[in-house]
Amino acid sequence: MSETTREPDARRLATNARDRVHFEEDALALSDQVYRVARHLVGSREEAEDLVQETYARAFRSWRSFTPGTNLRAWLLRILTNLNIDRGRRIQRSPDTQPLEEGDYFLYNKLEETNDGSTDEDRVVERLSQNDVVNALSSVPHDFRDVVVLVDIGDFSYADAAQILDIPVGTVMSRLHRGRRILKRAMADSAVGSQT
Amino acid sequence: MCDCDDCEQWMQPFMDRVLTDAERREAEVHLDDCSYCRKRYRFETHLRQFVRQAVVEPMPAELKQRLAALRTPLQ
Repeated sequence: MSETTREPDARRLATNARDRVHFEEDALALSDQVYRVARHLVGSREEAEDLVQETYARAFRSWRSFTPGTNLRAWLLRILTNLNIDRGRRIQRSPDTQPLEEGDYFLYNKLEETNDGSTDEDRVVERLSQNDVVNALSSVPHDFRDVVVLVDIGDFSYADAAQILDIPVGTVMSRLHRGRRILKRAMADSAVGSQT
Repeated sequence: MCDCDDCEQWMQPFMDRVLTDAERREAEVHLDDCSYCRKRYRFETHLRQFVRQAVVEPMPAELKQRLAALRTPLQ
């Protein structure tokens, strides 16, 4: 190879290496946020760790397919949810006989009902414990949970969530609506019991 | 004019900021007027924050190291 063709090659390689380093740094800087979402998309910490590791291995291999300037966090989560499905999580059909979830005010009403006499309504939420929330979230069927986790915990827009899960925005909205109600119902059961 | 039932229906979309401007104004007028819904609105905003904080589990430091080790070695 002559000097004249080698030099542009060398420059191209250097640019390429620099872009890759940037990409890897940017992706790693998002790992806390990716893990936070992953942790609640799967059942256990171990699964979440494996999934995040696999996601990064794949992301680093196929970094060229990421379009700079687009949402890297959403791109990573898209890989992650695909891997999660590949790992055997089949699309769960929600049976039509799902218990009817309660209205949006249900949880507040339930917590207020068990009011111990304190009148500070701003503290009603304190009747929930961290465990109530964590257990309730893990009990939400995963079709619904995925959307709630992405939007309410991951702060993704409806459009991003739709892209990550490869479902229409309308489906995101309806699953979010039902998922939040199922979550609240589960929190109410956990916090004040399901006897009433 | 929206009533408490409408307001309950609209609460989540209202908080997600996806209502139309007209719906949003109606909901705001109702919330100004109705302490029943206003209490519940305040609760919903607290609840979202609470849920978000309650489920955070810090990422294990060791996982972070494993991810860093996946990087392409510099030539």
